[in-house]
Amino acid sequence: MAVNPFDALGLPARPDLTDEQVRAAWRAIAAATHPDRPGGGDVARYTAATAAYAALRTPWGRSEAFADLGMAVDDTSPLEVVPGSAADGAGPEPAVRPSRPAGRFRSARPRDLIAAVGQLPARIRHGRPRRLLIRAAAASLLSLAVLHLIPGQPAAPALITGLVTWFLLTGRSDLAPLAPPPR
Amino acid sequence: MSVWAWLKLTVCLWLLRKMVKVMGWLLLAAAAVAAWPVTLVGLTGYAAAWLRGWPPARLGRAAAACLLPVTAVWLAAEAARHPAWPAIALAPVRDWARGWHHLTVIGATRTFLLVAPAAIPAGLGLAALAWAWRIYALTTGIGGWTASAPITFDVRQWKRQVRTAKGRTAAPGSVPLLARGERIPVGGTIRTIGHRWHPVFTISPAACARHMVIVGATGSGKTNLMMRLWAGWFTAALAAARAGRGPRPLLVVLDCKGGRDARTKADRTRRLLYGAGARRVAIWPDEARLALWDLPPNDLAILLYQMIDSGTGAAAYYADIMQAVLTLATMAPGGPPLNAAAFLDRLDVRWLQRAWGDGLHPKELERVRGAARHLPDIQLRFATLLGRLGPALDGPGTLADADAWYFILEGTREPSVAEAQAMALTELAARAATGTAAEPRAMLLAADDYSAVSRRVPLSNLYERGRSLGIGVQVSAQTWQGLGRDEDERYRIAATADGGIWVMGTPHPEPLAALAGQRRVLQTAHEFVGATWGDRGTTHQARAWNADPDLIRRLAVGQACYIHRGAATFVQVARPQPAPLSLLPARAPVDLPAPRREAAPAAEPLPANLDDVLGPGGARWP
Repeated sequence: MAVNPFDALGLPARPDLTDEQVRAAWRAIAAATHPDRPGGGDVARYTAATAAYAALRTPWGRSEAFADLGMAVDDTSPLEVVPGSAADGAGPEPAVRPSRPAGRFRSARPRDLIAAVGQLPARIRHGRPRRLLIRAAAASLLSLAVLHLIPGQPAAPALITGLVTWFLLTGRSDLAPLAPPPR
Repeated sequence: MSVWAWLKLTVCLWLLRKMVKVMGWLLLAAAAVAAWPVTLVGLTGYAAAWLRGWPPARLGRAAAACLLPVTAVWLAAEAARHPAWPAIALAPVRDWARGWHHLTVIGATRTFLLVAPAAIPAGLGLAALAWAWRIYALTTGIGGWTASAPITFDVRQWKRQVRTAKGRTAAPGSVPLLARGERIPVGGTIRTIGHRWHPVFTISPAACARHMVIVGATGSGKTNLMMRLWAGWFTAALAAARAGRGPRPLLVVLDCKGGRDARTKADRTRRLLYGAGARRVAIWPDEARLALWDLPPNDLAILLYQMIDSGTGAAAYYADIMQAVLTLATMAPGGPPLNAAAFLDRLDVRWLQRAWGDGLHPKELERVRGAARHLPDIQLRFATLLGRLGPALDGPGTLADADAWYFILEGTREPSVAEAQAMALTELAARAATGTAAEPRAMLLAADDYSAVSRRVPLSNLYERGRSLGIGVQVSAQTWQGLGRDEDERYRIAATADGGIWVMGTPHPEPLAALAGQRRVLQTAHEFVGATWGDRGTTHQARAWNADPDLIRRLAVGQACYIHRGAATFVQVARPQPAPLSLLPARAPVDLPAPRREAAPAAEPLPANLDDVLGPGGARWP
């Protein structure tokens, strides 16, 4: 079975790693396992890391290795920024989610719906949660006011339905976009 | 009639006219006060439209949108309470009449809430009508206090429309890469003339799959627009492929200026496409290679011939010889060359004589002999050209290896090399589009600043080629002049852009704006009495630009005018960003092409018997 070069360097399997991140990971392993170290180092690990670095040193190489990966990797943690690198300061690109097991894509609507609901917390977190909260608070307060001022009147459910509809329609813009379905 | 009598009659008539007018206003005010919930909603809607630069349609749609969740639910609740329809219809009137007995803040609020299900749609509808009338009155010149009112109104509304569009564009979920109905969102709509207004302007992926022209000066936000269109098209085409409605997409971008900026753009494009679901995005020539030698021998010979400047006049004689030699070299019986070194080896008399000297091709062998003394020159020229082109076209690799290719051509630094590369790459793209052996792909060929390399292959050629091959072509230029060599060519390119024309801030937008056509408008001339308007005036029909060139000239960074089918829409383009929740693509089996090596040309045939060489009883092998 082929060695995963991302694993060999202790990096998350993502195509958007930067050159600096890959180089830093390789240097750390090379410094710890080099054969010239007292005790002979760890030749096997050093060789694997060097081979992995050769494979991942360019963006195209990372793209190739990433596409060749056999298994999904459940690492969604934000990338560690290499001090002094180009990514430092600008920050890494938004985190990407893990892939799903390989399989033929089927456009099953209920599955998409469940996936969309599952993404909701992340969409709120990556969107504008404060604005969404203000919208929700405004809709709730107005609904409470309606219930307090005209309890039991036919207009009350109508207005509350209207407020809920308004919240659902306008709140969408405060959510991060849906992720495309996996390939 | 005496002067006094005439004066009295005139004053009376004036007073009568004014009284009728005042009575009309008083009646309107009385109705507004009487129907105060509707007035309140109407005023709020009108003020919101004025402050945010909404078109009347926005208010009209809001009124219609209220009908289902608010009015319908209210009617259903009323029906459950009063089974008789007259009672339901009179319910708001009853609530309204009861409200007059409790003229307190709480009482008024309660009354408003009770009648709101009817008052909100009615008020918004009235606000839409009033706002439409206001716009009509000001744009035709029959409204406003001063003669400059239409101008100030337009300027102010433009600013508000821009502010609203920017706000919409800034919201994270407003402008994703792909919208409902698989349409490509571009940004917040500022203003539409002839097109239907939507808060977020979208175009269909089919428009991208045709031909599109983008003109904008440096720093006008052209790159963002193009990236958004690429990513949107890719996402839409991928979604269609997944649903089994089309082939997989292949995006080919030619960045014809090159330099460091091109690398940055390429990296951004790659990240964006990963977020859009792309699995492999290749950046050429920095990280990936292509094999020029994969072309069919005939096409290869023509391309190699076109890549060299051959000149005219007496030089045409040598050009013909060169073309003949190239045909002999590429169509040799053993097959076409597999790389540059093999090709250069073939530009040799002995190689060609061996290849064609099988006894079956006497004519070709004759041509080889005829061109023999020119072969070293031709070899030298091609060695120089291929050396300058570098190894990036020497393979291995094909366009099918990636979902998207970003080609960086150094059109500013090395125009002649970039031109040759552009020719080769468009030929490879054409081959990928028409090849029957490979998997069919939906292809979009985008050429950014193509004018940098268009000396040898005019843009119109690229355009017509794309049209004939059924691939989408998107070209960008900094100015109208950058689109082509002469007006004829420029008009040919722009007028056939059936996917639409995007014009961003550019100094000479008139020819492009003219393609949006004109519309009929009313212009009113007023009689001036002193420093103020009199009662008399005339209105006449005139024609105005759909896409006002002055407005286009003043577009800020990130603003664009989309011209399509004789109408125009001004858009605040949203910076494209991948969804932060993008799922990583699943794996796919990959067969990396191994570097190819051509078999050495057949060596001199070995003698059947070593005695022929060494003599009888000659040296023996140890």
